[in-house]
Amino acid sequence: MSIERKFQIAAYVLFIAVIFAAPVFGDEFWLNRISKYLVYGMLGVAIALTWGYAGILNLGQGLFFGLGAYMLAMSLKLSSLTSLQQGSDKPVPDFMLWNAEPGAPTELCCINKGSFIWLPFQSQSVGLVLGIVLPVAIAGALGMLVFRKRISGVFVSIITLALVLLVRLVMVDAQPVTNGFNGLTDLGWLTIGGIEFDPYSRATYYLCAACLSLTLIGARLIVETRAGMILQAIRDDHVRARYLGFDVSLYQVFFFVISAGIAGVAGMLYVVVAEFASPTFMDLSFSVTMVVWAAVGGRSSLLGACIGAILINMIETEVSETEALVEAWKAIIGLIFVLVVLFMPRGLGGLAHDVLRQFIRRLKPGTAPSPLQQQSEAL
Amino acid sequence: MLDILFIGLSLGSILLLVALGLAITYGAMGVINMAHGEMVMIGAYVAVLSGIWLKASLLLAIPLAFVVTALLGLLIERVVVRRLYGRLLDTLLATWGIAILLQQAVRLEFGLSFFGIHVEGLGAGLQNVAVPAYLQGTFRLAGADINAYRTFIIAVTAALTLATWFILYRTAAGMQVRAIIRNPNMAAACGIDVKRVNAMTFAFGSGLAGVAGVMMSGFKTVFPDMGTTMVVDGFMVVVTGGVGSLFGTILSSGLLGEINALVAIGTNDILARAVVFGVVILVILVKPSGLFSFKGR
Repeated sequence: MSIERKFQIAAYVLFIAVIFAAPVFGDEFWLNRISKYLVYGMLGVAIALTWGYAGILNLGQGLFFGLGAYMLAMSLKLSSLTSLQQGSDKPVPDFMLWNAEPGAPTELCCINKGSFIWLPFQSQSVGLVLGIVLPVAIAGALGMLVFRKRISGVFVSIITLALVLLVRLVMVDAQPVTNGFNGLTDLGWLTIGGIEFDPYSRATYYLCAACLSLTLIGARLIVETRAGMILQAIRDDHVRARYLGFDVSLYQVFFFVISAGIAGVAGMLYVVVAEFASPTFMDLSFSVTMVVWAAVGGRSSLLGACIGAILINMIETEVSETEALVEAWKAIIGLIFVLVVLFMPRGLGGLAHDVLRQFIRRLKPGTAPSPLQQQSEAL
Repeated sequence: MLDILFIGLSLGSILLLVALGLAITYGAMGVINMAHGEMVMIGAYVAVLSGIWLKASLLLAIPLAFVVTALLGLLIERVVVRRLYGRLLDTLLATWGIAILLQQAVRLEFGLSFFGIHVEGLGAGLQNVAVPAYLQGTFRLAGADINAYRTFIIAVTAALTLATWFILYRTAAGMQVRAIIRNPNMAAACGIDVKRVNAMTFAFGSGLAGVAGVMMSGFKTVFPDMGTTMVVDGFMVVVTGGVGSLFGTILSSGLLGEINALVAIGTNDILARAVVFGVVILVILVKPSGLFSFKGR
């Protein structure tokens, strides 16, 4: 095992140890906030997986995040107190009652035209399962269509971008079923095996931390498998990979689906932590922002992208709460984007990598990288 | 029916003005300019500001907006985009950052609000621009009510498209741009100053977007975030039409504008936009290189 790899493993271990130790340092409000950042960290990993390793820039990752969020939020909405206290014995979302036509039955089956699709969500496990199955299924279907046709580069980005905006508009337009622009608020708590996940509790924080750690380790292991290596080969030269006999589209679809699954889980966690689901999850700006997190952290480093997401959100909160900068924080974030792309194209992850390499070289003067290695890095 | 088609045509015209700039910058330079929508926004604010401070009419705002946004485009090209040629996706990210910066600049009144100075017309609020009296109202044509302002939009777009066509296909500078679209390295080898031509192309595209902004300010409210939807629509047009094809850009902007108008009349605006996105996705899936792309090199 090379020294570099040891350092990498140490970085992962250190990061996971830090996020699990975090509850010692702050109160429950702080923990709730950090939980959100951890969820964003998962999104960073999802983007790094497709962008950094597969070379697919998905500008619609918010679609999978939003779908995951909405699926669980629908379940949690039906288990909230306001949905139960509506006079009927079966829960009905309050916004449906406000908008119901006079004389309509207060039953999910037929309070309005589309309300029957809420029926399965009376069980929380349905929401939990759909929150990952739906993003995965859509990513699979989309991936089959797009990658089989050998669509690549910007065109994939435009398709995903158009798709997320399309779904967002449909969700907003289906106001009677989805509560439109307002999204789903006033949700109940997630309950798994008798544990209630109060958003301000340590249990919820540990749930997020565990999911992020599993995602990081899982993603790292999967990119180191044979499939992951082939994927990187495809990214670097998909024509050559195709000539070597690999089913290029199959690998692309596979990793696209995994990334969508991670985003779906992140969406569900976000709903548990933040207690709402909103169409803003599927705004263009949110999807692009995720990509920028990954760019700042380092697109080809899973841990880097994750830390990038957490770091930017920390800076953002910090700056937006500083009185003199309340108005200017967005401009500052915009400036950071530009500067990072211009002067640090490989992000913080790339920077850390270079520093580490220098360090190792000083440590062992004999182990300078071979010219071939240097050349491949320059590319 | 004719009046609906006419509304579609005017929507398509605005789309075309936005998309022309994107098409030449993306086609010629390989730059995805996410700040292009902000050029539209700034063009609209030029109309607002020139109305308030110069008491100028919308007509004078058109050349003014062209100059302001073209200069701004030149600045952006010199400072940021120039360093990113050949890194397509990085241009997307960097210009996204610029887009945020520009939005905030307008919202913060170019930072003057920190010093307690207020510039009337800027800031986070909504703005409206008055359309001159002779462009208001409607006239009847073939049994349909035709809006005068929409006719004006179509006329301006037609003039600018013709100008663009003329520059691209009838001048020496246009020849150089077309050479760069086909093969930048070969163009450079033939002695074309690619950097200079690129900068001019970028500035010209930005200027067109600025004019589109002035046109839009006549029938929509002006606010700092208005650009984001414009850049998305612009890209849809460019990709649907086929990258690098002026003709494709013109036809697809008309097509998408008409689809939008027709669906909007039948259902609502939100669904109309959704249908347009759906059509674009279908087009890319069926013909990844766009409807009217020119055949290979």
